[in-house]
Amino acid sequence: MLSRIWSVNCVRNEHEMEIAIAVYDLTKQYGKILAVDNISFTVNQGEVFGFLGPNGAGKTTTIRMLTGQTRPTSGTVTVAEYDVVRESIKAKERVGVVPEVSNVYDEMSAWDNLVFAAQLYRVAKNEREKRAKELLELFGLYERRADRAGNFSKGMKRRLTIAAALIHKPGILFLDEPTSGLDVQSSRMIRNLTKDLNKNGVTVFLTTHYIEEADQLCQRVAMINQGKIVAVDNPEKLKASVEKHQIIEVSFDQTQNLERKLADLKYSNKVTQVGDKFRLHVRNTSEAVPLIIDFARENGLKIVSINTLNPSLEDAFVEMTGLSPEVMATEKEQGKKAASLG
Amino acid sequence: MVRAWADSLIKAFYIAKKDAKVYYFKAPNFTYGLLIPVSLYLAFSMAGEISSKLIVAGLTSLVMLFGTTSIEAVAVVLEKQTGTFERLLAAPISLFTIVLGKALAGFFFGLILAAVVLFPLAAVSGTVVMNPLLAVIAIAFTSMAFSALGIIASAYAKWVPEAQMLSNFLRFPMVFLSGTFTALEALPSQLQVVARFLPLTYSVEALRSSIAEPAVTYPYILDIVALALFTIVLLALSTKILEKRIA
Repeated sequence: MLSRIWSVNCVRNEHEMEIAIAVYDLTKQYGKILAVDNISFTVNQGEVFGFLGPNGAGKTTTIRMLTGQTRPTSGTVTVAEYDVVRESIKAKERVGVVPEVSNVYDEMSAWDNLVFAAQLYRVAKNEREKRAKELLELFGLYERRADRAGNFSKGMKRRLTIAAALIHKPGILFLDEPTSGLDVQSSRMIRNLTKDLNKNGVTVFLTTHYIEEADQLCQRVAMINQGKIVAVDNPEKLKASVEKHQIIEVSFDQTQNLERKLADLKYSNKVTQVGDKFRLHVRNTSEAVPLIIDFARENGLKIVSINTLNPSLEDAFVEMTGLSPEVMATEKEQGKKAASLG
Repeated sequence: MVRAWADSLIKAFYIAKKDAKVYYFKAPNFTYGLLIPVSLYLAFSMAGEISSKLIVAGLTSLVMLFGTTSIEAVAVVLEKQTGTFERLLAAPISLFTIVLGKALAGFFFGLILAAVVLFPLAAVSGTVVMNPLLAVIAIAFTSMAFSALGIIASAYAKWVPEAQMLSNFLRFPMVFLSGTFTALEALPSQLQVVARFLPLTYSVEALRSSIAEPAVTYPYILDIVALALFTIVLLALSTKILEKRIA
């Protein structure tokens, strides 16, 4: 069903790659607060581009500027060849936007929500009904098409929000935290859909605080912290840049009081316990592995498994931003609690 | 250019149609739109003698004022609260088109309320509407001007209660300063000057004129022009306020 062509107008960069989004010296200031500080990057056509950063880093402000929902203080944004400020309508016609909070009309049925979205993009009447049916089927909502969206679960509302963003076959899709707070099944469905859309030529701009999600989906990621971009590259290149520490993950037949003892081992910089496994950050794995085997023998332990781990995107994120990845998750949860209390 | 305007108008109409589906049957629209103006009028008519012509024109204008401003307060602020306003902002529509669509929703709601009140009330009170066409024109211009007034309050507010409070701040002084319950000439001269800056004054005058006069009069034309000017200025102002709010 997704084999239909999502076409998009593009310009080419110096490597003859088509550019879907071009951002130059973009800045947004709210009074004395500098939310986004002079950022520049490009997103190539047909790629999934991740935008990683903690809460308050400037992700949503950036996405709002990129989608023409708020004006930049300075700088330019070009989307599908169109300047988002000066040619706002044309730029918006070519993008689909899925905000962090699902924004369907609770009082309207799933069907009416999609038809209204299509009307705003002036999709022809016969085409809009065909598209609404296709998308509701794709998202497993067709049987519930006549039900009020207000009666839907969080995952169903999320799917309906994404369907509404796709009703006009956009060439570029902005996804702001698409799987945040969703059940496993809905999250998996959305990730698979993102991959399928991308295979069909849709450029995806994804903001997420799930680093693993960005690693799985994105061809390139930008890391933003305090309004500034600290790195833009392929996930593998970013991981390679922090390879000065190597990790050995080992599991013994028992776990009690081992973390402190392992930390005393030579070559071991840091030890963390993850479930029934221990992660040892070492400079040189070939020197450290024999020591771990000796350690097990001396303490009467059986090694259940031992693996070397490459640095993850999470490690790269920590290295580049100086923040712990838990900060992002915690801040998100706090934000949600505050919103629900408000 | 013409095509772009036509496109904007069509999109504004879709927004109005959606708002009708979503917001027309919200409780505040009925409590504020019908109950308050009817209660006000009953209270004043019991206190003294008011002619049936004054009642019919005044009550119709009041119902439109309270009804349209109530639906605008719910329609814009609630969308901002629930996040659906972002859907409109992300769509290929200008901010003015969004404001126009919102105003049209209030406009149609005002027409329905006026139809429910004017002609049945005229029949019950034995008032003859001398020129129904002029009455309909006056109602249409009134409804649009009041809708635009309602958007000003909700463009400025962050929450529904705040929008209702701002609307009341505009509505209630107008009720007493616009000659709704009495002839405008009965007000002190300074207040008569103030009344000239209020759209309700022109609405009541235009409706009274259409009830009393079979033909178009010069004051009637001035009233309609004033209501049209109020609409244009208030819609432009609402767009500017929203633009600042979302910046």
